[in-house]
Amino acid sequence: MIGAGRGRGRIRAPRRLTMNLPLRQAFTKDEVDFEQTWEVLHKAFREIHARNASNLSFEELFRNAYKLVLKKKGDFLFEKVKQLEIDVLDNNVRTQVRRLATPTILITDTNDSSSIERRAAGEKFMLQLTKSFQEHATEAGMITDVLMYMDRISTSEGRKTSVYTVALALFRERVLQATANDELAVTILELLEHIILETIALERSGEMVDRPLIKASCRMLENLYESLNEQESTRLYLTSFEPKFLDASREYYRNEGKMLVQEADATTFCSTARRRLKEEEDRCQQSLSTNTEPKIKSVVEQELVSAHITDVINLPGTGVKNMLDNDKMEDLQNMYELVKRVDSRLKPLRDAVHKRILELGNEINTSANQIATEPPSKARQEKKDTESKGKDKPAPAKQLSQQTVAAINWVEEVLKLKTKYDKISERAFRSDNVMEKALEVSFQDFINENSRSPEFLSLFLDQYLKSSGKDKSEAEVDTLLDNGVTLVQYLADKDVLETYYHKHMAKRLLMGKSISRDVERQMLVKMKMRLGNQFTSKMEGLLRDVELSENLTNGYREHMTKLGEGVTHKIDFEPSILTTTVWPITIPESDRACIFPKEVELVKESFEKYYLSKHTGRKLTWLPHMGDVTMRATYEKGAKPITYEISGPTYCMVILMLFNEHERLTFSEIQQLTNIPPDKVTQTLLSIAVAPKTRLLKKEPMSRDINPTDVFSYNEKFEHSFRKFKVALVSEQSNKVETAEQRKETQKKADDERGLAIDAAVVRIMKARKTLTHQQLMTETIDIMKSRFHPDVAMIKRKIESLIEREYLERGADSANPSYNYLA
Amino acid sequence: MTDTNKDLSPYVTLVSADGFEFHVRRSAACVSGTIRRMLDVQNNFSEAQSGICHLENLSGIVLEKVVEYFYYNEKHRDSTGVTDMDIPADLCLELLMAADYLDT
Repeated sequence: MIGAGRGRGRIRAPRRLTMNLPLRQAFTKDEVDFEQTWEVLHKAFREIHARNASNLSFEELFRNAYKLVLKKKGDFLFEKVKQLEIDVLDNNVRTQVRRLATPTILITDTNDSSSIERRAAGEKFMLQLTKSFQEHATEAGMITDVLMYMDRISTSEGRKTSVYTVALALFRERVLQATANDELAVTILELLEHIILETIALERSGEMVDRPLIKASCRMLENLYESLNEQESTRLYLTSFEPKFLDASREYYRNEGKMLVQEADATTFCSTARRRLKEEEDRCQQSLSTNTEPKIKSVVEQELVSAHITDVINLPGTGVKNMLDNDKMEDLQNMYELVKRVDSRLKPLRDAVHKRILELGNEINTSANQIATEPPSKARQEKKDTESKGKDKPAPAKQLSQQTVAAINWVEEVLKLKTKYDKISERAFRSDNVMEKALEVSFQDFINENSRSPEFLSLFLDQYLKSSGKDKSEAEVDTLLDNGVTLVQYLADKDVLETYYHKHMAKRLLMGKSISRDVERQMLVKMKMRLGNQFTSKMEGLLRDVELSENLTNGYREHMTKLGEGVTHKIDFEPSILTTTVWPITIPESDRACIFPKEVELVKESFEKYYLSKHTGRKLTWLPHMGDVTMRATYEKGAKPITYEISGPTYCMVILMLFNEHERLTFSEIQQLTNIPPDKVTQTLLSIAVAPKTRLLKKEPMSRDINPTDVFSYNEKFEHSFRKFKVALVSEQSNKVETAEQRKETQKKADDERGLAIDAAVVRIMKARKTLTHQQLMTETIDIMKSRFHPDVAMIKRKIESLIEREYLERGADSANPSYNYLA
Repeated sequence: MTDTNKDLSPYVTLVSADGFEFHVRRSAACVSGTIRRMLDVQNNFSEAQSGICHLENLSGIVLEKVVEYFYYNEKHRDSTGVTDMDIPADLCLELLMAADYLDT
């Protein structure tokens, strides 16, 4: 049978067979005729390509191929198969596909009538191509299976690629990379890509397209490689289609972005952009490849989002500002998600929010400061406004000065703003850390913009810690205070607040206006938690003093009851014993020398005796200007006498008591008899001789002012609609807003304290480090002080200077690089 | 394996060159790469349709041993330290060739 030469042209193979035969130990003893065997296989493969495999016996084919390979005919077999495949692809598949590659597909003008036609033609073409490919792949798979033995041997011998790979590569070469049409200079691949892109463009503009078809095309491209070794990166999809797709998308979104910015508002822009992203995601999953998803997304992000987001955020009327103002949570969320995609630090959005908060914050600041400086009537008007909104307590509001109103307004506005933005942050920005930080910074910025914010805050807290805030429930007050403390955290100058709060708290405690000591203590705990021990230590001292003094008073009362001294029963004496250093009270020298009426003087002496017996070596200083007195006065009115209970400041009592003994006294006489400083006398007299409702004394001449020459006498005709009433000190603010002068003083005090704190910090740092450069020392000092206030750099420099003068420090030798040494 | 189709009979018939028939569980028979491809429903050769594989290269004796190996292999597929199967020395060469042919 060898070399039987069936008249075929290429008969070299049999000859080689002859040469090889003796060397081969054959599996079967039969000689194998290549031509004959190939003929069998050839026919069968044709059948397979005709999708007619069910009549074929795999075993037979396999056995034949097996024999050929055993006879070392594998290479020839491989070549033959390859040729067969080429033939099939060229003559059957390609012609089929080409038939559908009509020129209409390529027409690019968007004439409507032709576009539908074009689309149909395109789909048909795509369908045929993918179908051909799938069939070809299956057929190639079958042939590969039959030739499995050949592949196995050839790969073990280090030869080429499997039949399947070659068959697919041939498909690429013979079909995809062939020209589509005789008249057209494009390959079938290019045509296909063109159709896919066209279809995607259609889908983007909202039309329904055949996604599975695109998916099939893409899968085909994914399964084909540029080279025979099937490297991942040489997938046709990646090398050819994807770049084109991305380019086309980039172009598309660039145009869309421009158009949207020009024509649409921010809301539409955001929702469109998000929709587009979602669409592309879907598209990648359903029609293209999931590997493309990140790439196309980045294209959309770049072209649509990054390029325009800043413009959109700042769009007048519809931008972020508008969204924030109108609580457009969804839009904000859209915006947030978009910005998040392109910038993990969210800069544009952060800036916009920051700007808006600052604007609003500054508005609040100005309006608060305006109220504070407006004439009272106007302020009261404002007051009414807030009342009608149910924002404030109606009744005690009358007593509030416009300063307090301003303070409370300010804090409430700030809190309102904060609640609003907290909500936005939670709902729209998903409590994003970056955004929360930005919000915090914004609040800090504008709160610290207002130099009076520490005072305002303290006033606010004071208002609600005072028992006057009755119309709010405990829980409400609690939340308000909580919020207040939150704002305190934003303050840069915490030490200023500390000073104010200290002062306000002292007054609260002394005047007995605090709601309860428990609430005060809770408040301190809250502050301690957020601001640290150091902050509250002074305040805790206040509370401690108040308690000690209560115990002492009780002890004194018991002591007196035991002694049974009658005189003390007439006067219910309640002293507050305070440690001088803990309380923020300045004691004017002039106030100490007041001459009390006899009865009072007695009590005072007895208490002093009692106190000194308990605590030897201490000194008691009396502060009459801080005290309060309630006294009873009986007036003869016709038949029955009327007894009034009058409460007022201690000085008021001291002066009134004079008139138990004297009929008429001049101003200077009063001053001499009591030794009260003249300005205080004036103030007291104004309230008991001029103020219309509490005119306990007659004044001559009846004028509105008090002059040293005025004469005062007992007003026996005094009447008051209530049995109990209070003498309010005229011109003294019942609340504790500071005058400009006092404020300056507070500021100065705070500055002094800061100076000391900086001194201490610098010395501490230098003691630990011995030598530091100027820059390092500055940073460390600022770091330490930051929790309490933002130190002024100039101030630190001054302090360092003075420390050098006092020989705590010395300058380093190198003047180019300034440094300091610690001198022990 | 490939018999995802539930209608497929769980058994196939292997026929030796000298006419011995072996009814073998499909999963066991598919231990052989060749037979697996032969029976692949997607390729749909005549063997896949009929479920009968004529193995013209193998004698009944060899095929019997092969089938024994199929079951042996399937049984111990996931275990380790399995003892070798008992192979009569006279069949060695033929079995080797059969193994080559059947891709097992």
